[in-house]
Amino acid sequence: MAALCAVIAIVAVVVPFAAGVALLGTVPTALIAFRYRLRALFATTVAAGMIAFLIAGMGGFIGVFHSAYVGGLVGIVRRKGRGTPTVVFSSLIAGIFLGAASVGSLALMTRLRHLIYEAMKSNVDGLASFLGRVNLQQPADVLQRCFATVVGYWPWVALVYFVISTVVVSLIGWWALSRLIARMRGVPDLHKLDASAAAVDIPIGPIPVRLDKVRFRYPGTGQDALSELSLELRAGEHIAVTGSNGSGKTTLMLVLAGREPTAGTVERPGAVGLGKFGGTAVVLQHPESQVLGTRVADDVVWGLPPGTNVDVGQLLREVGLEGLDERDTGSLSGGELQRLALAAALAREPALLIADEVTSMVDQQGRDSLLGVLSGLAKRHQAALVHITHYNNEADTADRVIRLRESPDNADMAGAVGASAASVAVSPGSQAPVLELIGVGHEYGSGTPWAKTALRDVSFVVEQGDGLLVHGGNGSGKSTLAWIMAGLTVPTSGVCLLDGRPTHEQVGAVALSFQAARLQLMRSRVDLEVASAAGFSPRDEDRVAAALSVVGLDSTLAKRRIDQLSGGQMRRVVLAGLLACSPRALILDEPLAGLDAASQRGLLTLLEELRRDRGLTVVVISHDVAGLEDLCPRTLDLRDGMLEAMPTAAKGVS
Amino acid sequence: MLLVPVPGTSAIHDLWAGTKMLVVAGVSVLLTFYPGWVTIAIVAALVAVAARIAHIPRGAVPSVPKWLWIALGVGYVSAALAGGTPEVAVGGLHIGLGGSLNFLRITALSLVLLGLGAMVSWTTNVAEIGPALAMLGRPLKLLRIPVDEWAVSLALALRAFPMLIDEFQVLYAARRLRPKPVPQSRRARRHRHAIELIDLMAAAITVTLRRADEMGDAITARGGVGQLSANPARPKPADWLTLAIVTAAGGGAIAIETIFHLTR
Repeated sequence: MAALCAVIAIVAVVVPFAAGVALLGTVPTALIAFRYRLRALFATTVAAGMIAFLIAGMGGFIGVFHSAYVGGLVGIVRRKGRGTPTVVFSSLIAGIFLGAASVGSLALMTRLRHLIYEAMKSNVDGLASFLGRVNLQQPADVLQRCFATVVGYWPWVALVYFVISTVVVSLIGWWALSRLIARMRGVPDLHKLDASAAAVDIPIGPIPVRLDKVRFRYPGTGQDALSELSLELRAGEHIAVTGSNGSGKTTLMLVLAGREPTAGTVERPGAVGLGKFGGTAVVLQHPESQVLGTRVADDVVWGLPPGTNVDVGQLLREVGLEGLDERDTGSLSGGELQRLALAAALAREPALLIADEVTSMVDQQGRDSLLGVLSGLAKRHQAALVHITHYNNEADTADRVIRLRESPDNADMAGAVGASAASVAVSPGSQAPVLELIGVGHEYGSGTPWAKTALRDVSFVVEQGDGLLVHGGNGSGKSTLAWIMAGLTVPTSGVCLLDGRPTHEQVGAVALSFQAARLQLMRSRVDLEVASAAGFSPRDEDRVAAALSVVGLDSTLAKRRIDQLSGGQMRRVVLAGLLACSPRALILDEPLAGLDAASQRGLLTLLEELRRDRGLTVVVISHDVAGLEDLCPRTLDLRDGMLEAMPTAAKGVS
Repeated sequence: MLLVPVPGTSAIHDLWAGTKMLVVAGVSVLLTFYPGWVTIAIVAALVAVAARIAHIPRGAVPSVPKWLWIALGVGYVSAALAGGTPEVAVGGLHIGLGGSLNFLRITALSLVLLGLGAMVSWTTNVAEIGPALAMLGRPLKLLRIPVDEWAVSLALALRAFPMLIDEFQVLYAARRLRPKPVPQSRRARRHRHAIELIDLMAAAITVTLRRADEMGDAITARGGVGQLSANPARPKPADWLTLAIVTAAGGGAIAIETIFHLTR
């Protein structure tokens, strides 16, 4: 299963890379061959080849095939632990095979070969006659003779060409793969759910379940992820599990879903039956990766045993997605995606339904409707519902609430701002406009049938030291606005000015913290990351420590791997890198998404202090208003790409 | 826009995805073996008619970058200078068209092939491609080739593709926001470029592997792989008609080319 998923992922990398940076297209496939079985490589090749075929025709398919061929070779050599000489040798042989195959197929395709030959001959003759006219008869003759000779021996020329290019591409792929593996060593395998639990050949019966003094510790760690817990869960019961990040909520979910605990016993009448009829269904945190079908109706039945019939319309009605059967899942909002995942879970009529932080990535409106669906479920179905959440108010509808203890790891998130060297351009009290948006509008795909207007005639001014909240729901164009303000997108109409000059000419002057903090962290370790983002040497430990202290992080964190950070810490590391560049303004896109209550409070306090003490100009883009009043005294409402009202401080717009 | 069909419905939109894939594969083979003017013209006509039926607006055609026009122009001029048969006489001046005709033919060939592929991605919902591959590949199962596995990974890849493209855009944007250190020498600059490329790639692969892990959990939560589509499409009479038309056109083209020996 792991291999299958990696296939999917890699396919998506291969295609753009194979198209753009042809030489590196081999690396992702090499990684597949290095990590998984050969079968995964075949599946990758087929899937990537088909996509490339759909995008770029036969050429795309052949390109992907070559990448997979060479990449697979390099990956296998690497897995066998051999060195560069083996790569050279095996790629020589592989090149001969590839060359022979190409020569063979060209020999068969007589007409195409003649056409290519004629076209090349025309170009050469044309060049020769041009040279002849400017009195360079001799080089022209040499050129024509060389061409004739080359064509005469075309099978050999093609063979040598293929051998050399295969060797060169293999060596480049080898170099890149070695670098990449060194870089990615220690990326933890994040697989959580245990597939083997589903394969056991005993009748399915996950409920009632009794946990007796259960503890869980991940292999290779020195601390229990779930401290001792006893719990009993009966059919049809609705319980809520609360606690902050790191308190073991997700670990409890894993144990309920069939993972063996480190200590203690779990008693249930039969097998867990993950995803089986009458078994256990799990809905997870991330909306996009939950939904596997491209069409809503397809997603509901995805993975059901062949030949099963379910009433898709009825299931969709139950979760409030009535009549959306034919919709593209890509066009659904986070809340709708989660409700769709619920429908897919219900299609299996589970005896136990576990919802693991399903609302944490969803906006307020989506959250309400999702909770409404969840609380109604236990009444209509004979399913026990375990709702894991870090919002205490979401636990209210449950029959019983289990609070997990705070983990000691989590106490250091107060927003202390140390004295430091990072300077933000401050001019206290001045009311100079920093960002000025004048009639900004943006349309994606202008002139194509897919044209979509994201923003219409947006005008406002952000002043020095301002705190502004741009509030809007899904699809209101707020992310586009953030990109325009950071200069990453050039608006199709109107201008966005930073200190009087267009923002897109000074990319980097306005800092932007993206919603997905992980995407903004490119290096493997905290100090390397901060140094790279701020543009100084990672050996400059004082500056790294100073940058970290600005965002309230301890300098001991500098040597920590990025993958070992919590969500709140990641966001702070991003901020440290951005603030160390002394930006003119800081834009935050959904800064609170996915953080637990304590981390949210800590981050808000930090931002408030930065704004108050350093005069940092802050623009927050969010679908939530709650808790942001102190940081952002001003609010703009964005709906369907237009500003709803301009409450205060609209002066200065020309 | 990649792999997003042109909005609207038409007879072409309604065809089974497998039919369209078969047509494209068949025509590609035809054109590789018989790349003559007759075949190119017939296929071009088929594409044009299909585009007309499917109401493809002109805006759907991607714009051609300037360097490609320049490259094409240079290629054409140098090929045209070659002259050769056939020749035409314009006001006493003999102009050989052989070279330019050859060049035009190979350009037209690539254009027709690209247009054919584009027609598929303009008119096919990606949700139909995976199930279609599973059905088309059914005979291969006899050879113990895991066709279903391929179909599932293709369908999931198509599902993940737009999400990952978005994430790559964010990755690229995040990189643009970073300050660029000025390297001292050319060697240092090259080194810097290589390191950045590896960085970007490592980030991209990490992101995709993480996404894949999440999807893997979601698959496990659903009890593994099974049905792909709620209402699997099957070939309809229109599909057989389309296949018949394309086969007839292809056969006709081959017949004309071989009977009259138009191209070698």
